[in-house]
Amino acid sequence: MSNSQSRAGHFSGRSSGFPLAWLLCFFATLLCGPVRAADTTLEVIGASIKLDEGVYVLDADLEIDLPGGARRAIDAGLTLRLNYEIEMERVRRYLPDPDVAALVQGYELSYHALSQRYILRSLNTGEQQDVGSLAAALDRLSSVRGLPIIDAALLEPGPAYAVRVRAVLTLRSAPDTLSWLLFWTDDWSATSEWYTWTHRR
Amino acid sequence: MDTPSLRRAAATAAICVGGLLWLSAILLMARTAQHAEPFSRLHPWILMINVAGLVVLLALLATKLVQLVRDWRGHVIGSRLKARMVWTFGVLATLPILLVYFFAVQFLSRGIDSWFNVEIRQSLDDALVLSRSALETRMRDHLAATELIADELAMNGGTAPGILEMLRRQSGALELVVATDSGAIVAVSRGLETDVVPDEVPGEVLMQAKQGSPFVSLEPLAEGGYLIRTAVPLGGVAGDRSDMVVQAIYPVAERLGALADTVQAAYQQFGEKDYLRKPLKASFILTLTVVLLLSLLAAWYGAIFTAQRLVQPIQDLVKGTRAVAQGDLDTRLPLTSHDEMGFLVHSFNDMTKRLRHAREDQQRAQQAAETERANLAVILARLSTGVVALEPDLRIRTANRAASSILGEELDGFIGSRFAGLGAPEGLLRQFGEACRSRLAAGETEWREQFVFQAGSGRRVLMCACTPLPAEGEAPGGYVLVFDDITVMLQAQREAAWGEVARRLAHEIKNPLTPIRLSAERMRLKLMPSMNERDARLLDRGTETIVQQVEAMKEMVNAFSEYARAPRVEMAEVNLNRLVTELTDLYRAQVAGRGVTLEVRLDPGLVAVVADRGRLRQLLHNLLTNAVEALEGRPGGAIAVVTRLAERGGGRVAEIAVEDNGPGFQRELVGQVFDPYVTTKARGTGLGLAIVRRIVEEHGGSVEAENRPDGGARVRIELPLDGATRGETVLRREPHWPETRRERA
Repeated sequence: MSNSQSRAGHFSGRSSGFPLAWLLCFFATLLCGPVRAADTTLEVIGASIKLDEGVYVLDADLEIDLPGGARRAIDAGLTLRLNYEIEMERVRRYLPDPDVAALVQGYELSYHALSQRYILRSLNTGEQQDVGSLAAALDRLSSVRGLPIIDAALLEPGPAYAVRVRAVLTLRSAPDTLSWLLFWTDDWSATSEWYTWTHRR
Repeated sequence: MDTPSLRRAAATAAICVGGLLWLSAILLMARTAQHAEPFSRLHPWILMINVAGLVVLLALLATKLVQLVRDWRGHVIGSRLKARMVWTFGVLATLPILLVYFFAVQFLSRGIDSWFNVEIRQSLDDALVLSRSALETRMRDHLAATELIADELAMNGGTAPGILEMLRRQSGALELVVATDSGAIVAVSRGLETDVVPDEVPGEVLMQAKQGSPFVSLEPLAEGGYLIRTAVPLGGVAGDRSDMVVQAIYPVAERLGALADTVQAAYQQFGEKDYLRKPLKASFILTLTVVLLLSLLAAWYGAIFTAQRLVQPIQDLVKGTRAVAQGDLDTRLPLTSHDEMGFLVHSFNDMTKRLRHAREDQQRAQQAAETERANLAVILARLSTGVVALEPDLRIRTANRAASSILGEELDGFIGSRFAGLGAPEGLLRQFGEACRSRLAAGETEWREQFVFQAGSGRRVLMCACTPLPAEGEAPGGYVLVFDDITVMLQAQREAAWGEVARRLAHEIKNPLTPIRLSAERMRLKLMPSMNERDARLLDRGTETIVQQVEAMKEMVNAFSEYARAPRVEMAEVNLNRLVTELTDLYRAQVAGRGVTLEVRLDPGLVAVVADRGRLRQLLHNLLTNAVEALEGRPGGAIAVVTRLAERGGGRVAEIAVEDNGPGFQRELVGQVFDPYVTTKARGTGLGLAIVRRIVEEHGGSVEAENRPDGGARVRIELPLDGATRGETVLRREPHWPETRRERA
């Protein structure tokens, strides 16, 4: 197995403006699309798969650095969603590479004001954990261990398989009815570069 | 349907569709602002559609405004009125919209702020604190219970399952776990309602236990409700360091958990909305602003559109009026409405229609007048009577060809000039103009008079009638002079009279002459032998005198008879040069004896004339005799006979001129030398030149007598060579001939 690490992206966020100034920067906003947060850091710093009882499982480490605004938004009640997107495809020389496996593992992070705890919830399993600090919660989110990817029997021995992982971070409203307003807030969403390596069985 | 109508329909349809799209976009944006979840994801696109509409409308408006400004600067008809209407409509639309916008923004901003006022925030905070307090009491109780369990386990020194189960039951915990500080579970006791496999002891629990501090936390459950997790080092609160930790998890009463969840949910939603307050206000204000701008731009565009619709008929009217002013009466304005403007357009079209018909009538009348005028001009041109129309200030307005012919000057070149004072100083035109001017200057506007003028060619008699032209006012609109040269007519009348005299002389006088002579001779023959010598001589002288005088009278009567005789004219081609040569040869010897030279200048190009040879011979004979008699007793006399081929009025004429260097004609008699019995000689009947003119007129020619500038007389005769010239000449004289010929007959 060989790993080739790729760089993570750094994204910029928009600064909130004066209400009437919206009109002036309106066209730029619409033309440029969502502007990435400047100081949100999201990078896959390491990932690998290993065989565990006939199933390939993923271990991945992420670097997450949220700006103060995003932390305040979480404390105010917004929900942070982090998706791990994992794709595996067979590498072929002349023909298009067919997808072998594609998986999205999602997590949500929210603040529970009554218990003063940060709630981590897996969107795939519904499991919930709580930690006492945001740093601990982000630390918990930034590490994935033993995530089942594909049954080893589905991979043919010999051919190379390209495995890639990236993380997508978004901030959203708990009730979706207000999510359209996030269009008008600072955008802390971020998408990391793909972390890609080749795997041979 | 024509192209403009199709274009208008397409534009109207596009405006309607665009308007509906924008209205839909605005409504959708309003829906998204009302928390309509299905539209949340479409919010940016809906906003973009609205902004696109805004941009399109702005571009349309800018185009219209630029066009309006360009029209204003270019002074396009109706641009100022349109600009004023646009300004008025726009301001009328803008002011209330801005007013509503201002208050709407104020209400919106304050309304949203009022949702998040301090009291609500404080109430929620208090509720949260109260809930925490309620739960913290239980958390402290459960922590104390856990500490008792830890003390109990420490005192008993064991973690037997029975003791652990007993302590768990006594404390009411759901789960009781004894683990090492590394997280390895040593013993566990769990209730039936919990999972079979215990969860790991959280790291933060172990970390805090390592520090010898108790741990207690309230843990929300995914399915609702709470758990209270407590942990203390095994050894209790006494501070004994231990590598073991006891964790107990207690349930929270369902009722309390539900209330806590309600408080938590309310607090979270409020916090979230409070956090999104500014974006909420901004989006609402922006939505309002976009709607405002759309409304505002639509209002301005509508103002321009309406102004254009209102001004367009006026512009059409002005253009139509200008077109009519430039003579285009076929202008038809489109009838776009049935209101007052439509009535105006209809009236305009009706007016142009009437004007067109009036112009057509006028053109027909003008054409008829032109035709009449052309006919009149032709008639005037063909008239042998001269007609001159004068302006009120006696400037020549028009003159026909006969006027120019009679007056001897081309009057076409004098159109617009004052009639008096034109022509040569002694010319007929000058004399006639002055005579007319004097009559008109005397205030006589309508008169008829016979003028006698002495022109270079002789005496001319003009019969002239003047009539004022009608005018709008009292002053005449000009004058018309109608005149005719009656010189020839008068001459013909005189000739006719003389012919009558001659016939009477021949008849009344000649007949008694023979008996008188015979009587005188008989008296002489019978009485002389019986008379004495003295009486016989007296009788002889008396009878001789009677006979001589009778012969003289007989000659005179014969001359008159010859003048009055209507000759039988035998026309044939005559070589004029040869005839002149023959005749002058006869005279050459005669005049040479008197010291008179006879010069003959013949035009070799002169062709034969159609004439009566004998009459022409007599004509030349009379002229030469006149010349010879005029030179009697004058030394150095000279006679010249000249022939020439000349052009007259588009035809050819043979000109014969006989000149001498004698005393010439008396000035006052120049115009009458061709009349019978007009002579300046001591002897002679005065019929020579009269016979000459008669012969010339018999041949359709003309004759004129004049005094030469260097002394002497000249008689010039023109005989037509071509049929046309000949006919025209005869025709021109024709009005005077019938009477004459009747007289001769």
